[in-house]
Amino acid sequence: MTLAEGGIDLFLPHTYDIVWSLIILVIVALFFYKFFMPKFNAILDERAAKIEGNIAKAEAAKAEADAAKEKYEAQLSTARVEASKIRDDARAEASHIIADARSRAESDAAQITANAQRSIESQHQQALVSLKGEVGVLATALAGKILGSKLENDDVQSSMIDKMIDDMAGSDKK
Amino acid sequence: MVEAMGMLFAAESPDLPTVNDFLPPEILFQGTPFALNRIILIRIVATIILLIVLGITASRAKLIPGRWQSIVETGIDFVRESVVYQVMGETRGKRYVPMISTLFFTIFVFNLCGIIPGMNMAANATVVMPLVFAVWVLIQYWVTAVREKGLWGFVRDECFPKGVPWPVYILLAPIQLCELILIRPASLTIRLFANMVSGHLLVATALAFAQYWVIDATNKLAGIPIGALWFVFGFVLTLFEAFVAFLQAYVFAILSTVYISMSYPED
Repeated sequence: MTLAEGGIDLFLPHTYDIVWSLIILVIVALFFYKFFMPKFNAILDERAAKIEGNIAKAEAAKAEADAAKEKYEAQLSTARVEASKIRDDARAEASHIIADARSRAESDAAQITANAQRSIESQHQQALVSLKGEVGVLATALAGKILGSKLENDDVQSSMIDKMIDDMAGSDKK
Repeated sequence: MVEAMGMLFAAESPDLPTVNDFLPPEILFQGTPFALNRIILIRIVATIILLIVLGITASRAKLIPGRWQSIVETGIDFVRESVVYQVMGETRGKRYVPMISTLFFTIFVFNLCGIIPGMNMAANATVVMPLVFAVWVLIQYWVTAVREKGLWGFVRDECFPKGVPWPVYILLAPIQLCELILIRPASLTIRLFANMVSGHLLVATALAFAQYWVIDATNKLAGIPIGALWFVFGFVLTLFEAFVAFLQAYVFAILSTVYISMSYPED
């Protein structure tokens, strides 16, 4: 029907159609080449750069954090080792000190005991000597009184005293 | 069939679209090289809208895109990645991205005019606009070929391919030459133009019948359901035309890229 009437006319261009189509194409092409594409390319490039920059920044920050973490962990482990070493040292020192103190106390005690023993012995000896003298004098006096006479001979006198003391010591031991 | 149905049910025939829709009368500057008809007016309006919308988008473009800017960027990205770089790679394709983007966006918007109420006619619906786009592509792939291979190198590669016995050249060479000079631009032109013509005819026919059956037909009992069906059909076809508008822009862009790519020596 209708298509057959002017079908070929559709493909026969008018001059004004060519003119307008060319004008429009040139305008549109200029717009895209000179403004639209450069503008968007700039925006897209800037965005890509920014994103890449941010990614790099994030990566650097992560690496830094990782390094710091590693460092802290190393420090922490050395600190732990150090602490345990200090603790062990302290424990050793403490036991050493205790042992030292104990041995010193023991030797002190032994010395004190020995000193006491010695002083007791010397006092004992002193007492014995003084007693011996006093007893001798007393015995002599007593014997003199009993005998009514002074014992002239020193030898007799001392042998008598010794005998008396021996007797006394014998009764002491009983 | 369409006409038969029209004749069967009513005396008055519906206002069906004709080929004259594509040959509108000159309405301004008649007889001069700058004469305007309806389709050219649509084309100019579409161009102005395209320039204003994309111009504002570009001048307000921000590093962090809003919704509309994201849509436009998706389009740019689609042409660059899915059309140009996919066909010819980034190193060769980079210089053609603006050209293919121009073709894609312009053809898409011009095609969409076919379903914009009030326009109802694609701005590509005269043969000249697709032809002008196709000639641009023709010039571009010849220029590329001369730069990359030299004029004779290109013609020899295309018309006298290696490994073909020489008598075949007698047949092959003219066909290939014809392909390079005529068939490529003609196929680009006619594919786009014919799609726009048929799209307009389909949508307008469906809507003309819908109008006829619902409003003009005397038998309302039969008319309204039939008219409603025609309207649904027209509605679906309108959506289909939106898809065709994109598809033809994509096909034009990708074929242009392929033709330019074929001007390069093989890797």
